[in-house]
Amino acid sequence: MTGTLRPVGVVGVGVAAPSLRLAQSEVAQAWSAGGGRAQVAVCDGDEDTLTLAWQAARRALDAAGVESAAVSGLWWGTTRPPFAEGPSHAFLAGALDLPSDVEGCLCAGSPHAGMEALVSAWDALAAGHAEVALVVASDALVPGIGTGGEVATGAGAGAVVLVALPGDSNGAGPPAQLVSRISRTMAVVDRTRGDDDPGTGDVYDPRLFREGVYLPMVAAAGEALGTQERWSVSDPDGKLAAAAAKRLGGTLVSAAAQGAVGDAGAAAALLGAGEALGAAGSLGVVGYGGGRVTALSVDVRRPVPGADGVGEALSGGQAVGYVGALKARRQLRPQTDPIPMGVPPGGAAFVRGNAEMLALQGARCAACGTVSTPPSIHPHCINCGGTDLEVVRLARRGRVQTFVVNQTMPPPFQAPLPLVVLDLDDGARLMVQGISADAGDLAVGDEMTLVLRRYALERGIPIYGYKAVRVGGASGTAGAAGSAAAGAETAPTR
Amino acid sequence: MSWNKVAVVGAGLIKMGELFDQSYEQMAAGAYRAALASVDTGTPAIDAAIVATQRGSLWGQEGIGGNTVPSALGLSGIPCTRVENACPSGSDAFRIGAMVVASGVHDVVLVIGVEKMRDKSTQEGLLARAAAGHPLYNRGETAPVLFAPFATRHMHEFGTTPEMLASVAVKNHHNGCLDPYAHFRNEVTVEQVLSSPMVCSPLRLLDCCPQTDGAAAVIVTSAERAHEFTDKPVYVAGFGVATDHPYLHEKSTYVGLPATTLASRRAYDMAGVAPDDIDMAEVHDCFTITEILDIEDLGFVEKGKGGPASLEGETALDGRIPVNPSGGLLAKGHPIGATGLAQITECFWQLREEAGERQVAIRNGVALQHNVGGRGSGVSVVNILTRNA
Repeated sequence: MTGTLRPVGVVGVGVAAPSLRLAQSEVAQAWSAGGGRAQVAVCDGDEDTLTLAWQAARRALDAAGVESAAVSGLWWGTTRPPFAEGPSHAFLAGALDLPSDVEGCLCAGSPHAGMEALVSAWDALAAGHAEVALVVASDALVPGIGTGGEVATGAGAGAVVLVALPGDSNGAGPPAQLVSRISRTMAVVDRTRGDDDPGTGDVYDPRLFREGVYLPMVAAAGEALGTQERWSVSDPDGKLAAAAAKRLGGTLVSAAAQGAVGDAGAAAALLGAGEALGAAGSLGVVGYGGGRVTALSVDVRRPVPGADGVGEALSGGQAVGYVGALKARRQLRPQTDPIPMGVPPGGAAFVRGNAEMLALQGARCAACGTVSTPPSIHPHCINCGGTDLEVVRLARRGRVQTFVVNQTMPPPFQAPLPLVVLDLDDGARLMVQGISADAGDLAVGDEMTLVLRRYALERGIPIYGYKAVRVGGASGTAGAAGSAAAGAETAPTR
Repeated sequence: MSWNKVAVVGAGLIKMGELFDQSYEQMAAGAYRAALASVDTGTPAIDAAIVATQRGSLWGQEGIGGNTVPSALGLSGIPCTRVENACPSGSDAFRIGAMVVASGVHDVVLVIGVEKMRDKSTQEGLLARAAAGHPLYNRGETAPVLFAPFATRHMHEFGTTPEMLASVAVKNHHNGCLDPYAHFRNEVTVEQVLSSPMVCSPLRLLDCCPQTDGAAAVIVTSAERAHEFTDKPVYVAGFGVATDHPYLHEKSTYVGLPATTLASRRAYDMAGVAPDDIDMAEVHDCFTITEILDIEDLGFVEKGKGGPASLEGETALDGRIPVNPSGGLLAKGHPIGATGLAQITECFWQLREEAGERQVAIRNGVALQHNVGGRGSGVSVVNILTRNA
C-alpha cells in the first residue's frame, strides 16, 4: 500500500449465526471415524448468506442508531451469494430498505471477500464519496460430503457501520476507528469450487497449506501491520489461527466465535472481531482466502455499540444430526418433482410483490390510521375505504393474535410450520410463517419479531420473506433460530 | 312475508366419493338425470342452465364458461353460464338461477354443480391453495389454515375444547351413515377424532372434510308454474350474500365469520323469518370449527356457545335445531361447486319429508342452507327455503 489512508469511524457492530449446530461427533459417526468435540453452524432450509447478512446488518444498524435511509452504501462480502449471478446485492439492499440510490458492491470469489468489502467501503468513505457505509460479511460454506470440511466449515455473518470522519477528528469521535491496513497476495490454489462443483474442496495437503501458504502470508501481513494487542484471524480449519497469533504476539480473540460456528469463511475475520470491539485497545483483523490476505488495525477507544450482543447472538442454536444437516444444505433431497408456485418469479405479480415484501411495507390511511398490507393489493383502506394512503415501513415486533401449526403441506414447505396472525406494535396486522422451533408451545399473546428468511427455491430462484420468531423462544435468541430440517425428520408425510 | 317467487320442483345428486371411474361430464349427467327423475309430474323443458364449478380446468377447457355442460346433458343449444364464487359457488348459482326465473327471462332453469376434486393429486390440490393469494404474503396456507386460526382463537376466548369440535364430526358422521349419497358412511367416536393425525393444529384429520368428487342439480321454475310439476313445491323464501376482506390478516374478528352474519340477516329479512323459525339447516362444515362458527353467526346459538351446543346435542337430528342431517361436508363430502346444490337437495327432501331415516321434525316448514368460503371466508351465501306457499 502506498499513500496516506484517512481513518474512518466504526459506530455499530452486529453478528448473526444460523439456526443449526452440527457436532463433529455426528459427522464422525456417519463415517465411522473418530471425532472431537467441535461443532459447526449450519443454515436451516430457510436460511442462507442473504438472510444471515440481513440479520447481522439489521443488528449493526440498530446498535448504531442509524436509519436505513441514512446509509449511502452497502458493501457485502460472501463466497456464496444467493444468486451466483443475479440481484443478490439488490435483494439485500431491498430487504434492509436502503435508499434506491445506494452505492457499494458485492465482493465474492473467495473467503477474502469479507475483507474486500470492508476495505472497499473504507476507500469510499475516505475518498469522501460516502458518508455512512454498511459493511456485511456473511458465509454459509457447503463442504463436500465426506471431506474434512464437514467438521470445519460453518456459517455466520458480521456487519459494521462505518462513518466518514470530519477533517479535525480530535473531539470525542467515534468509539473506534479503522486506522491502517496491509494486503499480501500469492498465486496459490488452496480452496476452490468450480462452476460445476456443489461443494467447496481443499486442493493442498494440510501441511503444505499451513507451512507453505497460510502461516507465511498471515505472518507477513500481520507483521507489516505492526503490533496489536488482540487479533481476529480467519481460520480455514480451526487450528491455524492460534499458530498465527503466536507468531504475531497478542491475544487471539476470534477463537470463541470460531468455536461457536466453525469457519465462517468470508465472515470469519469480522465475526471473530465482533466481541473485541467492546473493549478498548488495538485490534488486528486478518482475513485470508484465495491467495490473498488483508490485515487491518482497529483502534477501539470505547465499546462499539452492538459488541455486547455478539456473545448472545452466537450462542444457542439447535442441534442437528448429520442427515438433518445434509437436508438443510440441500445435499440430500427427495426424488420427487417439486410442485411450482402459483406465481412464478418471472411474472409481473411477483415483481410487484417482491419489493414491498422485502421492504415490509404497508399503506397507512390518512383518514383513519388503519394500515392495509401489502399496498399493491389495497388501493382502498380496508377499514374506511379511504384512498389517501401513505406507504409506511411496518414494525418488526408484535404479538400473536391467533395461529396454527400446519403439519400437512406440499413441498417446498416443511412441517411443522406455524402460521401466525401478528398484531404489530404499530397497529398493523400481518399473517406470516413462523419457524418450526417455536411450533411446540406457541400461544396467543406471545411476543414475536420478524426476521428475513428464504421461503423457497422456486425454479432455482431464492424467494425471500419475513417469518415470525418468538422473542426468547425455544430457539434461543430470536433471529438466530429455527429448525425446519430437524422437524421434518419426524413430521408425518401424507 | 316470504319472497316465494320461485320454486324448486326437482332435485337430485349422485353418490359422492372418489369417483375415479367417472368423468366430469358423466357426473353432471348423473345429477341432471336424478333431478329430472325426482320431478313428480311431466318432464320440464329446460330453458337455460347455470353451472357451478369452482376449478374450471382440470386438463384443458372443460367447464370453462359452463359452455361444455349442455352438450353432456343432451341439452346442446340452451344458454349456459358458469358461476364461480369459491366454496359457495353452488349456493350462489342457485340464488342466481332463482333471480333469472324471477326476471321472467327464462321459465325453467337447471342449476347444476359439478366438481372433480380427485382427478389431480392431493398435493397439487393443496398447493393450489398454498400458493394462492399474494405472491409472497400468505404462503403456506393450505385449506385448513383458513379456518384453524379461528379454532385457536375460539378456544382462547370461549374455552371451546377439542371434544366440542370432535362432537361435530361424530354427529355428522352419524348422519352420513343414514344418507345413501354420503362419501363416508361410518360412525366415528370422540376418541377416534381426538387420536386422528394432526393436520393443522388444532384441527385433526377427522376435523376436516374429505376431498370428494360429486355433482348435484336442482330444477327451478316460477311459483305459478310449479304446480305443473309437483304438488309439493319448495319455495325460495329468501337469500343473502355478503363479502368480507379476503385475507386472514384483515379479519375484524377471529371468533366469527362476519360475512355469514351479514348474509343471513339479509336472507332472514327477505324471507320474513327469524333463526328460531328454522326447522333444519345445512351449513358449511368444511371443518368442525366452521360448523361451530356457523351456528353462532347464523343466530342459532349465542356467540361463544357453539361448542357446548354441539357437545350437548342441540344440533343432532332430534335436537333443538338439527344441523347437517345429510352428514354435511364432513361426511357427505365437499365437491365444491356441487356442495351448495347437494345441500339444497337435502333441504328439498327434508321439507317434503322424504329424507327417510334421517328425517327431522318439520314444524314451521322452513329450512336454511349456507356456504362460506374464499381465501379467508371472504364470501358467504345463505338460501332460505319453505314449503309454505
